[in-house]
Amino acid sequence: MTRTRVAWLALAAAVLVAVGVALSGGTDHHATAAQRADAIAHNVRCPTCSGQSVAESASPAAQAIRTEVRRRIDAGQSRQQIEAYLETRYGSDILLTPPRSGIGGLVWIVPVIAVVVAGGALVLALQRWSRRSLAHPSDEDRALVARAEQR
Amino acid sequence: MTSGVLARRRVAPWIAGAVAIVLLVVIVVAARAKPAEQRTADSPLLGHRAPAVAGAVISGPAQTLDYLRGKYVVVNFFATWCVPCRQEHPELVRFAAHHASLDDAAVMQVVYGDRASTVRSFLHKNGGDWTVVDDPKGSIALDWGVRGLPESYLVDPKGFVIYKITGGADDSGLEALLRQAKAGETR
Repeated sequence: MTRTRVAWLALAAAVLVAVGVALSGGTDHHATAAQRADAIAHNVRCPTCSGQSVAESASPAAQAIRTEVRRRIDAGQSRQQIEAYLETRYGSDILLTPPRSGIGGLVWIVPVIAVVVAGGALVLALQRWSRRSLAHPSDEDRALVARAEQR
Repeated sequence: MTSGVLARRRVAPWIAGAVAIVLLVVIVVAARAKPAEQRTADSPLLGHRAPAVAGAVISGPAQTLDYLRGKYVVVNFFATWCVPCRQEHPELVRFAAHHASLDDAAVMQVVYGDRASTVRSFLHKNGGDWTVVDDPKGSIALDWGVRGLPESYLVDPKGFVIYKITGGADDSGLEALLRQAKAGETR
């Protein structure tokens, strides 16, 4: 297997891992209910204050959302279900990070695609440079060298 | 005196004048703007069935949104500590009084973060004989996606949310929305 092929495979593997992690939304399967509630609260914008998450704010609206999030976690709802509920009430801007599906998912996918394209371009450029540096000497070149040695 | 100092002396009054004009414009615009003017806003609830207004009734008749089905209902979120809420209150009283005689629209209030006794005393003094529901934990406000006070929603006779109003509602603005809603109904 050539070095180039290995590089391509390594790049493809890295991209697959990155996409997998981005789409899975992290691994909080082993987190406690309180930890999950806190993680969600950090990702929800306080609707009545500016620039604070629900986890950071002491406003009544933030408290109400924290209570509702915890209630829904205890009822067995997933993070996606809870965030979807909040979006149906406040709109998608209630979430501090864009959703991983739909148009919002582009925010996660586009950087990965950009990295792949940039990596591919880099590999191609490196290949060209290495081809240039390994260019075989022509008969003219050889004659030149022979003449120089004879002097 | 150097030419640089002279040049600065010539420019300074112009800069001061420009700043004064900008400040004047800002002051005039701010002074002429209506405080917390009624605005309609987007909401994911628009076009959807109105969430329930379930809670302890602290004033007025114990009526639910379902009970008021068949009428337009203005669901208003307020608190007595909120100045724009106090300013809009007479407008809601006027709107409710006018439509009580027509029997086509009603007002329902949700108290957000306020004491029941304070609210009762405020309503006793300023009018408002509609259903007032307490929301001490903010769960009703959350269900309606309330972002600030005052905020109102117009619910149609079938129980669907058709407008969200942010800032103080006024009688003429509510009448205009009602006319639009009725015109849409007949279309």
